[in-house]
Amino acid sequence: MSLRKFAAGPLCALPIGLFLLIGFAAPLLAVIGFSFMPPRTFGLFLNPTLVNYIEIVDSTSYISFLWSLALAAVTVAILAVICYPVAYGMARIFGKWSMLVTLLFTIPLFVSENVRLYGWVLFFIKNGVLLGTLKSVFGIEADSWLFTTGIILWGMVYVYLPFMLFPMTLGVAMVPDQIREAALDLGATRWQVFREVELPLSMPGIMIGFLLSFVLAVGAITEAKVLGGQRVIPIIHDIEIAFTYAQNWPLGAALAVLLMLVVGFLVLLVLRRFDLDAILGRR
Amino acid sequence: MTQFKQSRRNFMQTSAAAAAAFATGGVAGLGSALAARPKELNILCWEGYNSAQVLDPFRESKGATVKAESLTNDPTMINRLRAGEINVWDLINVNNPWARKIMYPEKLIKPLDRAKMEPYFEKMMPMFKPPYKWAMDDSGKELLGMCQRFGPYSFVVNTDKVSREAAEDQGWDLWNDPANSKKYGILESDDWNVFGLCCIAGFDPFKQHDDADVAKFTDAAKRVFRGAKMVGDIATMNQAMISGEIDFHLTGGTYSASPARHDGATNIRGITPKKGPMRDGLGGIAWIEVTSIVNNPDVSPLAAEFLEYVQDPKIAHTVAFAEGTFNPVAQMGSKECFDLFTKEELDAIQWDSLEEEMSRSIEYDIVPDYDKLLDIMTAAKREASGG
Amino acid sequence: MSDESTTGRKSILQLRQLTKSFGNFTAVDRVDLDIAEGEFFTIVGPSGSGKTTLLRMLTGMETPSSGDILLHGERINDLPANRRPTCMVFQSLALFPHRTVGQNIEFPLKIRGVDAASRKKRALQLLEQLRLPETYYSKNVTKCSGGERQRVALARALAYNPEILFFDEPLSAIDYKLRKTLEKELKDIHRETGKTFIYITHSLEEAMVMSDRIGVMRAGHLVQVGTPNEIYTAPRSKFVSEFIGDVNVIAVQTQADGQLHAAEFGTSFVPPRLPNGFTSGHLVVRPEFLRFLDRPDSAINCLEGRLYNEYALGSRIQYQVRVGEHVFIVEKLRQQAFGGQRDDAVLIGWDAKDSILVAE
Repeated sequence: MSLRKFAAGPLCALPIGLFLLIGFAAPLLAVIGFSFMPPRTFGLFLNPTLVNYIEIVDSTSYISFLWSLALAAVTVAILAVICYPVAYGMARIFGKWSMLVTLLFTIPLFVSENVRLYGWVLFFIKNGVLLGTLKSVFGIEADSWLFTTGIILWGMVYVYLPFMLFPMTLGVAMVPDQIREAALDLGATRWQVFREVELPLSMPGIMIGFLLSFVLAVGAITEAKVLGGQRVIPIIHDIEIAFTYAQNWPLGAALAVLLMLVVGFLVLLVLRRFDLDAILGRR
Repeated sequence: MTQFKQSRRNFMQTSAAAAAAFATGGVAGLGSALAARPKELNILCWEGYNSAQVLDPFRESKGATVKAESLTNDPTMINRLRAGEINVWDLINVNNPWARKIMYPEKLIKPLDRAKMEPYFEKMMPMFKPPYKWAMDDSGKELLGMCQRFGPYSFVVNTDKVSREAAEDQGWDLWNDPANSKKYGILESDDWNVFGLCCIAGFDPFKQHDDADVAKFTDAAKRVFRGAKMVGDIATMNQAMISGEIDFHLTGGTYSASPARHDGATNIRGITPKKGPMRDGLGGIAWIEVTSIVNNPDVSPLAAEFLEYVQDPKIAHTVAFAEGTFNPVAQMGSKECFDLFTKEELDAIQWDSLEEEMSRSIEYDIVPDYDKLLDIMTAAKREASGG
Repeated sequence: MSDESTTGRKSILQLRQLTKSFGNFTAVDRVDLDIAEGEFFTIVGPSGSGKTTLLRMLTGMETPSSGDILLHGERINDLPANRRPTCMVFQSLALFPHRTVGQNIEFPLKIRGVDAASRKKRALQLLEQLRLPETYYSKNVTKCSGGERQRVALARALAYNPEILFFDEPLSAIDYKLRKTLEKELKDIHRETGKTFIYITHSLEEAMVMSDRIGVMRAGHLVQVGTPNEIYTAPRSKFVSEFIGDVNVIAVQTQADGQLHAAEFGTSFVPPRLPNGFTSGHLVVRPEFLRFLDRPDSAINCLEGRLYNEYALGSRIQYQVRVGEHVFIVEKLRQQAFGGQRDDAVLIGWDAKDSILVAE
């Protein structure tokens, strides 16, 4: 009886524990393991080597890393500027309409990213919705915008907007009305209220939005492929090539591990700078 | 993206399976049922064979569970067999060289019942006359697979912009003309692009390359990728050609142009150059699919039945026009099958020039230093980033 | 009455027919009020009575629908909160959780561009004035106890140096004992600073302790304004009298002989001085004025009931006596406890002078 009582907790946790182990830890460990295998091999238990990492350092892979990080950083910056006013409106102004805005931003998520991006291709392509209309209605013949870096950013901002907007909205909504009013009552101008009170207090939501959209945007590939016509090769695309056409799993795994390290490092750096707990006054 | 997701998922599956197999101390791997599998069939193939139009009649008549997974890359499929999925699949459908040169020597596939299956080749188009080289092993004794879809695959032009005649004459030099910068796209199918770049660089892809060749290849790769308007999948290429974003694209043929042609855009046309750097001065490359039975220790008896099933004229026509891309099939050699094709369908697969184009093409083969060339090409593509 | 207490002192804040409506709902209805400079004025009312809306108009967080707010005789209806020389201590205190105690107190000074050294000097002064240790300057405000947070909020408001300080029930979430201490402390600080305090609460008891004058609100109307003593001894309505605490209320009407007829008991009572034109209303008797009688003629007004229960309230004991369905409350000092048992038949009564007659 006492044994059963003792074991009940761990026993109940066992399935989910195993699930996590198999579903999360095992693939991750497999990726790490593969990254130390000789190039173009398919076993996990060969003699470990650093060849893949050396190959990456010697190659031009840094270009892809830089593109991915730069595109993600610019995307996050653009999203911050676009989303804050919308988030502010949704949390404080739109009232019952904010539900509608939420729907407008979430419904597209039910459609696959590929389909939505192909939609934009049809919109922007030569003689497509935009340029075709410009040409037939206004007689303006503009160069196609497709297959440029700018259009890749457009796609990324479009795809990752909800991931910035909703945490940000929560962040703004977290600032109690009375605190805002108190600051105003103590003589602060609207700008001072924003800078001294609203911004710092909505920081947790903003930071979560930043991190979420950054991490997702670093992993972006479809925008560059579909809208960008592969004029930019983000790091994920390099990883994909390694795992598919090149059939060089160890190289792909090493790229993946490096990407995890780089992104992990950046995220930790940000989290150190902005201690969420401290911002929330929990510490 | 989809493709990547798939390969990542498969990669995970394989890893997990490997881990599980390791943990249990066995080498059973996936689907390690010891029982026979009379009602189960697993097919690893290019898209088309996995379509419901093809599989459903077979499922119904046999009362079988048929699972088919499509990939768009031969090495990936073969590597999955190598990674232990030999226990999972019953049939594998890849391009011509892999069966005799790689899979059979590596014991990934097993021979067919030659006496029973070879007669089907007699009913195919003349080029498949038995013993057909790519269906046989090196010794010429064993039949390794059945043929069906095939096609020339060099490049595609919009004939409103570049005439078929001019494109066939200029051939691969189309990509060596600086005036054509930003007028073309590159279809994302990296093995074929390696072949194409070899031809542009002026040498046969299917031989061992010396340093001079590699240098020329590197130069061609950098130049061609920098000059490309974009790189993308078949839909993107056809869309861009129809809209006028580009005038022609690298590596393509009936396989990639047929969806656009079938939609009425018959100005989109696969081109086989009249001359080129390959054996006998040939300029084109063609592919022929060979479907083989996997050397699965517990292979399904339905595998051989399925190979016979798709020889049926009606089913062969369905395979030719299954979802995705449209292709000629060897079975069109029989009148009964050929008559099932409408004029539009024949036009979509460029029947008018098919024989001529095949005669100007050498068959898909294995590039001895493929890995090296692919890495160079991948780097060139990456270095053209943002350009 | 209000004239009396403001005599000799200048009005700082005047409300003229001040009204606030939200759609069809009138939250504050034509309120007139004069508040004298340096006064501690408390607005009391149950929740929903409009007192918070009234306060929000006074602070500038809500714009009046009609009527005027005059500060030193000047109309300030449209002056935004951040430009009014007034400041509020919020019910939630609204301290900035991402700031230290010192930074909270210095906030209004920082906003005004006061240099860091002067800010800190003033903050330390305020900490001392509010009996907070100097070390709290750099303490995280979320680490402070409830009472400490009250003081920080008050210090921050005082740092703004407002002419009028508003309080929106800041003590409502604090336990009874500490609340009693803080009430007195607040009154002391009022005295020390000499500023005008306008306080809002739903507890008349709290209002009594601190205020110079009290205004009672009901359904958007200011129903009575007066000193704590006036409100206590001379409520003008059943509502105000009941708001003060447990009272005994009997519905009555005048009858020909000048006595009051109480239909509920089928009897009549001798009234206190009858106001002119009074025809019907309520007779209010405070529990401490009700007596247990030996004989019916020991008091001028008498009822017979049944002792239902008794409750010990510290220095006093409260008895519940039922006359029919009507519950009467009687209170005695502990030393004068009534010796009766539950369900005993008892006589209760009161003198006419100890009752109050209200019209409503």
